[in-house]
Amino acid sequence: MQRAEQEHSLTIALAGNANVGKSTIFNQLTGLDQIVGNWPGKTVERAEGTLHFKGYTFKVLDLPGIYSLSTYSIEEIVARDYIAIERPDMIINVVDASALERNLYFTLQLLELEAPIIMALNQVDFASKRGIEIDVQRLSLALGVPVIPTVAIGGIGIDGVMSTVVDVLEGRVGLKPLKVRYGKEVEGGLDKIETIIQERLPELSAKYPARWIAIKLLERDEDIEKKVQSNQNGKEALEYAHTIVEEIERLHGEPSSVVIASERYRIVNNIARDVTQVVSPPKTMLEEKLDAVTAHRILGYPVLIAVMTATFATIFVVGDLLVGILNSLFEKTLIPIIAGALSVVMPQAFVHLIVGGFFSGIGAGITIALPYIVPFYIILAVLEDSGYLPRAAFLMDSVMHRIGLHGKAFIPLLLGYGCNVPACIGCRIMETDRERFLAGLVVVLVPCAARTVIILGLVGRYVGLPAALALYIFDLVLVFALGRLAFRVLPGEPVGLIMEMPPYKMPSLKNVGKKTWARTKDFIYIAFPLIIGGSVVLEILRTTGLVWSIVDLMAPFVNGWLGLPAITGIPLIFGILRKELTLILLSELAGTTDFGRILSPLQMVVFALVTMIYIPCVATIAALVREFGWKRAVGVVIIDILLALLIGGSAYRILAAYIQ
Amino acid sequence: MSIDSELYEFLELVDGFGAENRPVDLSAIVLKLKCHVDEVDNVLKTALKAGLIERSNDLLRLTDRGRLIVKTHRERYVHKEYEHGHGLTGRVTELLEGRVRNWRGHWRKRHGFDDRALENLYRGLGELKGRIEETSTLADLRQGEKGVVAFALGGHGLVRRLSEMGLTPGTEVTVVRSAPLHGPVEVKVRGVSLALGRGIASKIIVKGLERDAESGAGT
Repeated sequence: MQRAEQEHSLTIALAGNANVGKSTIFNQLTGLDQIVGNWPGKTVERAEGTLHFKGYTFKVLDLPGIYSLSTYSIEEIVARDYIAIERPDMIINVVDASALERNLYFTLQLLELEAPIIMALNQVDFASKRGIEIDVQRLSLALGVPVIPTVAIGGIGIDGVMSTVVDVLEGRVGLKPLKVRYGKEVEGGLDKIETIIQERLPELSAKYPARWIAIKLLERDEDIEKKVQSNQNGKEALEYAHTIVEEIERLHGEPSSVVIASERYRIVNNIARDVTQVVSPPKTMLEEKLDAVTAHRILGYPVLIAVMTATFATIFVVGDLLVGILNSLFEKTLIPIIAGALSVVMPQAFVHLIVGGFFSGIGAGITIALPYIVPFYIILAVLEDSGYLPRAAFLMDSVMHRIGLHGKAFIPLLLGYGCNVPACIGCRIMETDRERFLAGLVVVLVPCAARTVIILGLVGRYVGLPAALALYIFDLVLVFALGRLAFRVLPGEPVGLIMEMPPYKMPSLKNVGKKTWARTKDFIYIAFPLIIGGSVVLEILRTTGLVWSIVDLMAPFVNGWLGLPAITGIPLIFGILRKELTLILLSELAGTTDFGRILSPLQMVVFALVTMIYIPCVATIAALVREFGWKRAVGVVIIDILLALLIGGSAYRILAAYIQ
Repeated sequence: MSIDSELYEFLELVDGFGAENRPVDLSAIVLKLKCHVDEVDNVLKTALKAGLIERSNDLLRLTDRGRLIVKTHRERYVHKEYEHGHGLTGRVTELLEGRVRNWRGHWRKRHGFDDRALENLYRGLGELKGRIEETSTLADLRQGEKGVVAFALGGHGLVRRLSEMGLTPGTEVTVVRSAPLHGPVEVKVRGVSLALGRGIASKIIVKGLERDAESGAGT
C-alpha cells in the first residue's frame, strides 16, 4: 500500500457477470466510449482507460463479463489469470442487485482467489422496481467487503465507489473478506492438498493462492490440472486430489465439481436471503409483457421479420432521402465553388487532382456512404440497448443449429449487418474454437453497412427495392449453405446454447446517441482516409493513363466472365480497402453519380453480388487474421473470391433472360 | 468427448466394467474379443494417443481421462439406446426388466463378458435407475411447469457449467417458454432467466415439485 501511495498510479479492474453494467461504470469512470449494450458477452476484449481521482492516477480495466472462474470459455481463463497473476490493486466487483444470488456466486470465487475487492451493487433502482430491497450494510458485513449501491446509468454512487477504493487503499477502511468454508469431506481434502502444494509447488503457489489451486483440483479444472502436472513435483498433489475427488463423488453421488458448486450456492443463497427483502410482490411489468410477445414461440417470428424489415426499410427510405439532399448540396453547389476558387490560385492540372481526387472523395464518402450508415447505427444501438438481441438468438437457435452453431451466433451475424469487424470479434461469444471459426466464416458474408450502400444505393435505387431485397435473401441462403458445408467438413461436435436472457430495458437517448457517434467516428477515421487516398490514387492513374493497362489486364475476368464494363475492374480492386469505395470510385471514374448511365440493371445486380461476396475488406481481413490466424484468414479470402466469381458469372448468364 | 462405439467397448474391456482397478493383459482382451491382435491394433493406438489408457509392456490400464470418458459414455449409452422408450424411467426399467436378457446376451456373445463384469454393469445401472425414478427431463416440462433439478447427464465440462449457472441439484426451476422446432427452453432459475438449448435441457433430469415439497416439509 505504501509503495502504491508513493507511485500514485494504481490499477483497478471491473469484474462481474455479463450484462450487469460494468461497461457503463467503466465509461463513467474513464469518460471513454466503451460500447455498452444489453446482451451478454459484448465486452469481448478488455478495455482500458485512465481516471484521476483524489491525487491518484488509476488505470481502469473493464474485464469481460463471466459467470465463473473456470475454463468454460477463454474469457474465464483470461480473467482469472489477470486477477491472480497481474494482481490489480483493487477489483470493483459489479453486481446486479436484481439477480443477487447468481452474482454472488462469482463474488465468492473472487474471494477465493484472494483478490482485494469492493462491491458496486448496481441497478438498485431496477431491483426496487421489482420489489427487491437489499440491506447494503448486512451484505457488506456478510462478505467482509465494502458495498456501495449504484445506478450506473444515472452516475449515482460512482463517486462513492471511487472514494471507497481510495479509503481501502489508504487503509481507512479494512477488508475482512469472508472465508469460504465447504463441507467436512471437502475441507479435509483441501487442507491436505493445500499443504502439499505449498511444500512441493512453490512456483505455482506464488502465482495462485494454494487453497485456490486445491479447490480447482477438486473441481477437476483442466487448466490447473495441466499446470500442476507439468511440474515434476506435481504428481503427488494430483494423485492425492484424485483420491479426494473419488471419495467426494462416492459420498455424494455427484461429480465433485457439482458438489463444490452446490456448496457455494448454498452459502450465497443464505447470504442473499438474509439481506434481501421482497417488499412488494412482483407485478407483471411492461417488459415481461413485451417479452411474452417478442420471444413467443409463434408470434416471435413475425415480430423478428417485422423488426428486420422495418430496419432495412427505414435505412433505405432515410438514406435515399439524405443521398438526394446531400448530393445536390455537394455536386451542384460546393464542388463547383471550390473548383472555381482553386483555379484562381493554381494550374488546371492540380485543380483536377485536388477537386477530382480529394474533394470528390470526401463528397462521395459523405453523400454515398454516410446516409445509409448513420441510420443503421442508430437502429442497431436501439436494438442492442433494448435487449432484443438475446430474444432473437433464442428464437433462431434451432435455425442456427442447422449450420452447426447455436443461437448466440445470431448476434454476431446481426452485428455483421453493421460492420464485419466487430462481428468477427463478436464471434468470441461462441465457446469453442471450432464454433468461433464457423461463425467467423459466415459472418464475413453478411452484407455490412458498406455493402448495404452498394445494394441499396445501386440496385435499390436504380433497379428497384424488390431486387435489393432479393439480393439480401440470396445472401442469407448463401450464408446458410456455406455454413452447412463448413459444419460438415470441420471436425468436432456442436456445443449447446447456455445464455442469459437479460430483461428488456428502455434504451436511453444519450446512450444511443453516444454509441452511434462512437461508431460513426470510427467509420470516418478509418474509411475517409482510405476513400480520399483511393480517390487521389485513382485520379493519378487516370491522368497518367495507367488505368487503362490495368483495365485491360482484368478485362477477361471482369468483362468476359462477369459481363461488367471493363472499367469496373478498378473500383473492384479498391473495394478491398472499403466496400463502399467500389461505388464511390465508380462514380468518379464515370464522372457522375447517375449510375443508370454507366451500368445496365443486370450489370448492377452482378456488380452488387460480386462486391457483396468477393473478399472481406482489409479491416475485416485483419480482424480474421487476429481472431483465427493467417492460414484460416487466407483460406476465407480465397473461398470468397472463388465464390464471387462463380456466383457473379452464373448470375450474369442465368439472369440475362429476365433482366437486361 | 464423443468416442465411437468400437473405442468405447475397448475401453470398457480395459476397465472391466469398473470392476478391476488393476492392469489388464492385452492378450486377455484379444481373447475376449475373439479376434486377431492386429484388429485391436488401431483402436489401441487411438486410445494411447488420446491419453485414455496407459501401457507398460502388454499390461493396459485406463488413465483418469479414460475412466471419465467411459463413465460419461456409459450414462450416455444407456440414455441414447432407450431414448425411444416412454420417458426416462420407462427406458431404464425396460432396460433392466424387459430387454435385459437380449442385452446381456449381446454383450456376452459379442464381447465375451463374464458374469462378474456383467454384474458390475448392472449394479451401475441399478444405481442410475434409482436416481432416475419418477423424473423427467427439463425439456419435457411444459410452459409454466416447475421442477427440481435432480442431476445432469453429459460430459464433465457441461455438468460443471450447468451447476455454475445455478442449476445445482435441489434447485427449483420454472419453464418460462420454449421455442418451436426443437428450439431452446427458457427457464427461470435463482431469479435469472436462462436460455438452454433443447439438447442441454434434455440432459437435465428434474423431479416433480410436490415430492420435494413433502421432503422439504419433513426436514
